[in-house]
This record gives sequence, C-alpha cells and structure tokens, in this order.
Amino acid sequence: MKKIFVDYKKCVACKGCEIACAIQQHPSHNLYALVGDKKTQVNVRVLGVEHEAFPVSCRHCEPAMCLDACPSGAISRDPQTSAVVLNPDICKACAMCAMVCPFDAVSFKQTHRAQYGRTVAYKCDLCHERLQEGLNPACVDACHSNALVFKESDELSNQRAVQNLKVYLLGDEGEPPLFSLYRELRRKEFARRRSDKS
Amino acid sequence: MPVKSDHRSVDPAAIAMLKIADQNDIDNIWERLEKQQPQCGYGQLGTCCRICTQGPCRIDPLGEGPTRGVCGATADTMVARNLARMAAVGSSAHSDHGRKVALLLKAVATGENTDYQIVNEEKLQGVAAKLGISADGLTTLELADKVADAALDCFGSQTEAAIQFAAAYMPKRLQEQLGKAEVALKDITGARIGLMPRGIDREAVDILHRTHFGCDADPLTLVAQTVRCSLGDGWGGSLIATELQDILFGTPTVRTIKANLGVLDAEMVNIIVHGHEPILSEKVVELARSAKMNKAAEAVGAKGVNVAGLCCTGNEILMRQGVGVAGNLLHSELAIMTGAVEALVVDVQCIFPSLADLSSCYHTQFITTSEQVNIPGAIHMQFEEHDADKIAEQIVQRAIDAFPNRNAAKVYIPQETAEAVVGFSVEQILAALGGTPAPLVEVIANGTIKGVVGIVGCNNVKVKQDLFHQELTRELIKRDILVIGTGCWAIAAAKAGLMNLDAQELASPGLKAVCKSLGIPPVLHMGSCVDCSRMLVLAGAIADHLGVDISALPLAGSAPEWTTEKAVAIGSYFVGSGLPVHLWPAPPILGSPAVTGILTEGSKDLLGGYFFVEEDPTATAERMLAIINEKRAGLGI
Repeated sequence: MKKIFVDYKKCVACKGCEIACAIQQHPSHNLYALVGDKKTQVNVRVLGVEHEAFPVSCRHCEPAMCLDACPSGAISRDPQTSAVVLNPDICKACAMCAMVCPFDAVSFKQTHRAQYGRTVAYKCDLCHERLQEGLNPACVDACHSNALVFKESDELSNQRAVQNLKVYLLGDEGEPPLFSLYRELRRKEFARRRSDKS
Repeated sequence: MPVKSDHRSVDPAAIAMLKIADQNDIDNIWERLEKQQPQCGYGQLGTCCRICTQGPCRIDPLGEGPTRGVCGATADTMVARNLARMAAVGSSAHSDHGRKVALLLKAVATGENTDYQIVNEEKLQGVAAKLGISADGLTTLELADKVADAALDCFGSQTEAAIQFAAAYMPKRLQEQLGKAEVALKDITGARIGLMPRGIDREAVDILHRTHFGCDADPLTLVAQTVRCSLGDGWGGSLIATELQDILFGTPTVRTIKANLGVLDAEMVNIIVHGHEPILSEKVVELARSAKMNKAAEAVGAKGVNVAGLCCTGNEILMRQGVGVAGNLLHSELAIMTGAVEALVVDVQCIFPSLADLSSCYHTQFITTSEQVNIPGAIHMQFEEHDADKIAEQIVQRAIDAFPNRNAAKVYIPQETAEAVVGFSVEQILAALGGTPAPLVEVIANGTIKGVVGIVGCNNVKVKQDLFHQELTRELIKRDILVIGTGCWAIAAAKAGLMNLDAQELASPGLKAVCKSLGIPPVLHMGSCVDCSRMLVLAGAIADHLGVDISALPLAGSAPEWTTEKAVAIGSYFVGSGLPVHLWPAPPILGSPAVTGILTEGSKDLLGGYFFVEEDPTATAERMLAIINEKRAGLGI
C-alpha cells in the first residue's frame, strides 16, 4: 500500500504543500480564489519545531483510531485507496476523532463542504480522487525537495538503503555540503536565540 | 523592576520593557518572528526567483528536484541575481540619502534655501581641495555651489570615467588594484567588466537591467557588478552624504552623551526622531531647544521639550549635537511602550510599519515626514527643506499638544543609561593623534595595537539583541584590537558602556595604554550607517601613509547582527576595497556553490577582500585576530 512518507530533513518549509492542498481542496481549484476565503481547507500544516520543519497531516492509519472513535459514522475507509475519509454531512463536530488522533491531524471549521454553515471536522483525504486518476496527492507533487514522497514502503526503503549504501560503500556525496552547512547554521541560530544565557 | 535574563535581548532596559509587553500582551517584533516560523528555506538559500511571470521558480537545494528554473536559470544564477538586487537596493537607499544632502547644499548655495547654512567652511574647503576645485576668488556659497554640482554629477554622470568623488577619495593603489581585477575578469570571461563606479544611479540601474529576464546569468559578472554598484555607494553616495552633512551641520567632535531608554524624561515632552537623515532631525533639535517651544511645553505642564534619537538619525544628532540616544533598531517599539513618548518623528529607512498600530495604543503621535515613507495609521506631515523651520515647529507643537493626553498609569521608563564618549569623525581621530595617522601606525607597527576592526549595525531579531555586538567588541578589545564602527552597533556599544572611558579597563594592556594616553575609549563611535564611508576614508589614509594596499593592512570588518539590504552594499564595498568582512546571520547565498565560492574565496585573489560567516562571537574574534596576524606577517611587523 502506498503512503505519503515524510523526510523532514529535506523539508525547507516553503509551504508549497499547503498551497497545493488548498488549491486541490477549494471548489474553484484556483489559487486566486483562495485569497481571503476563510472557508479554504488546508489539510497539511508545515510546523516549525525550533530549526526543523515538519509537514503534519493524516497518516491514514490502519486500523484508524479516529474511524473507530467516531460515534456518527462520518469516518470511513476508501476501498480503492485505503484512505481514511470524512463525510462532513454526517460529522457532528464532537471532536472524538481529534482527541484520539496521535498526529493531531484533524481540524475544525466551516469549510466549503460543510452544509448549512456548520463547523465540521476536516482532514487529509489522501487526494483519493486524484489517486483514482493515477495522480499523486497534490502535496507530494508540489514538493520539490522530496521531503514528501508517495510510494510503497518497500520501494522507498530499498531506494533509501541503496542511496545510503552508496555513501557508505562508494564514498558518494550524501547531503550537499552547503545544505548541511545551512542546516547547521540554522540549528545554531535557534539554539542561541532560545538561550536565556547572555 | 528586577532584571532577569531574557532570550530576546541582553539589554536590561529592553528586558524590562519586554516584561511589560508580555504582561499586557503587546504585539512586538519578537512575537511576529515566532508567528513567521518556519520561514521558507528557498528564500534563505537564495534559490527562489520571482523575476518573471513564468515563475516563481525554486531550485531544490538537495539536487533531487528541478535544477533549473523555467528559463533555464540555475541556482547560481538565481542567487547571484538576488544578491545583486539586494546590493542595488541598499546602495540606492544610502545614496539617495546622499543625493538629498547634495540637493540641499545646492539650494543653500544658490540662496534658494535660507533655513539652512554652511556651518563648516573648513570642511567645505577641504572637500573642494580633495576634488581639485579651486577656491580662489570664490565666495563660500560659490564654492559650495561647485562642490554640490560635483556631487550631483556623480549621480547622473553618463561617461565611462569613474565618478569624481571615488576618483578623488579612493587611494590610488586601490584604483590600480581594481584596474588589475578588471583585466583579470576580462581574461576569465572575455567581457569588459568594470569595477570603478561610473555613476551612482547608473550602477544600480545596471543591476536592474542586468537582472531583468534573460540578461546576465554568470554568477561571476553578477557579483562583479554587485561590487561596482556597492563601491559607488561607499566611495560615492554614502561618502557624499557624510561629507556634505559635515559641511551643512558640522563635522562631529568628541562629546559625551547618554544612551538607552533612560534618556526619556518623565516630566518633559519627549520627541523621538527615528530614521536616517539629519536634515529633518537637526531642525527638530534646533526648534525643541528654542525658548518659544519650551515655553509652550511649560504651558501644558511639562518641564520642557526633550529630544532623543533612535537608530541612525539618533547617531547623526548625537555625533553633532550631543543628543541622547534612546536605542537601536530593536528599541523602536520598546520606546513607545514606555508610554512617555509624545511624538515619534521618522524620515526614511528601518521604520517598522508596526509602529502605527502600536502608537495608537498610546498618546504617541507617530509622524511620517518623507514622501518615500508613508505608513497607514501614521500622521503624515510632509517635510519641505525650503520651509524647514516652520514644519519642524509644527511637529514639535504637535508633540507638545499630545502631552496632556499622556496616561501616567502607562508610563514606565527603565532608568538604565550609560555614558558614551562619541563623535569620532576621521578629523577628530586624526586630531587626537596630532594631525597625522603616524602615531596610530606606529602603535600598530610596534604591536601595542595589533589591528583595527570596523563593525556596523543593525539589530536582527533572529539574534539576541546586542549580544553579538557586545561580545564581539569585548573579545576584540581584549585581544589588542581597536574597535571602530557605526550604525546600530555603535548604539549597542554605547548602551553597554563600551564607549565610556571606564571601558579602557576592559581592554588588553597595550590597547589600554594607548587609549589612556590619547584619552579615548577603546571603542570608537564613527557615526551612522551612512558614515561607514568614514571608515573607508580612515583605512585609505592609513594605507596611503604607509604606501601599501588597504588589503595589506591589519584591518577587518563585521556586520554581526545585520538585517538590511544596505548592509549587503556596505559589506560589498568593504570587500571591494580589500577588507575581510564577517557576517552573521548568513546571507541568502548558500543555495549557490559558485556564489558562495566567489564571495568567500575567489574575491580574495581578485580584490583582497572576502566574506566569512561565523555564529559565535568569541570564535569570530579569534578568526579576526588570525586574519590580523596574517596581515601583520605580510607587512613584516
């Protein structure tokens, strides 16, 4: 089964994934229509934790605790893609799903999909409609640095193992040295900024 | 209020004000930085290009995604173009400041403006002599007219020759060195690449053209033009600003001032002038000191009118008028939070738009005065040089009118201030040395002082306020290195007491002895950021005295908490003049191996100067000492 894998060290916090998700989820599928539209749904959030950044979204667990916890049956599994999907028409915004989610990947607001101006739960749906067309999730396509990849886990782990072995066995260059320097300088900048010591 | 340590600032006055900000949930720059996290890595690496509408394009720094933009631009091209544009903006800002001073000098010379006068005739004659303008048979105003014309011509000159100010002020050996670098660049690229600036405006426009869609893509030639444009600022626009301001307002002389928020007086009408150009602030100071305005202040229950400076306007008026300075860049919001500021009067550069909203929480009149700086929520009182007295009076009156609205319950002024001995123009330094750089050269040659480091502002909210400025300065003077500098660094040093004569005790024995014999602190305030030109002139004077290149001297530069595009230009004209320059934070160039290589290594052979990045103040001081020792060895001293 394909999953979105996150390699946080490659995330440069450009938030391209957030914008791509918002466009995909917006009824207009148009960037300019998002501006100032508070109902816009963004299912991935790039969070800063000190100098690191991490794109947080639903992991589509199996079994999914949110699915089990939902008293109204609003959360189900898409049979084709195994995505955990949420039906806003049935959602009662009780927040049981958010409480049990180990990744804090469920949010609440009045989205374009919510009927009658209600506040509902919303979360990543793995772009399951795009997947059925043979496409990747929108966030994955938007990520230039390959911090987000959508692959079978075996395929990804083999690929990463071979890459790491090339560094180990053949002495290939791993991370580009200037990028390593950039990460190190950021780490130091944050460490110093956070320090109370003068 | 007990002072505790705080991760945002090392300044006790700032820490006290931040406590008030926290208690009252007042929006501030430190909070806004947190809200911006995480910030985009493409921008920090310089590999985001927004030059045409086929983009924006971004180059993956890991080499896994696209390696070229839509047009084919590589990371090297993007980084170099972005850097060049930063230098063009920075040079333009400082040079435009110089233009206004030149225009004012012209207006005074022609009699069009009678609100200002030629205050320093000796300096006028000195500048004219340097430019080769004969004063024979000319009145002061006629000579001023010729100097103003020469300055104005530097902006708009359309010939291939170097601008007159650069040709006159830059050491001949540096001009020769730049000439050699031009030949070397031609050998490498085949292109005719100049480094001596032809026109101040032209070099900035050249960058705007060169970085337009589909023009220069070579990181080397883009960096070369970055240096040329910046040299047009350092040896042109900024130098013109400094020299002509000295003519119009007086060359700074040594005096003692007070620094930090404690310069605000709870019983007086407090006016803070903030920004960069002394044209307005000099007048505000003049009017605020007038009997008429003080009487008006007394009429509303105040003891008088008190002017304080912030940032480089603060530096300009402390150097020339001895006005106390309330703080540097990161103090600008904190000053308003004291609740004791009747008016914050600003001109250009480094003014947070946030000051408008913040002022509206107090009785503070936030007054913009330049047609180039309009901020929603501010009161705009357009400043006109030809009507300066009248407008300055209206501004001061506006502050006085606000005094009765002050809410005493909101007033808290942290009392920490430090005394600082300031006013070290090149003329004053030479005067202290007995009229020639010889005594300074001698103590450097015999090793009593190992070298000189010039440091320039800003504050940067990503660095704990003043921490790097203070620690680097302390570490350098411990190592027999005299520290000079300008801008928000100078205010940081003043606030920390490092410009006090007592600071001699913090210096190493050699430096301490020299400072004691000359009666100077080990840390010298040379003015505002536009006055970095004074450091160039001083370096040139020492090099000429010894008959060597600036790049051979035991000198280094640093911008340890830099923020602005002006700093890119300053760093580049220091490097172009042959000086090694330290930077922290890292500039947005690490996405390009080529640009990083040129700026940190390649420029060493070509120009003598180069950049280096270091995040630790002590390590920076060690690196500078090593550089200085290497130069000393080169000179055989």
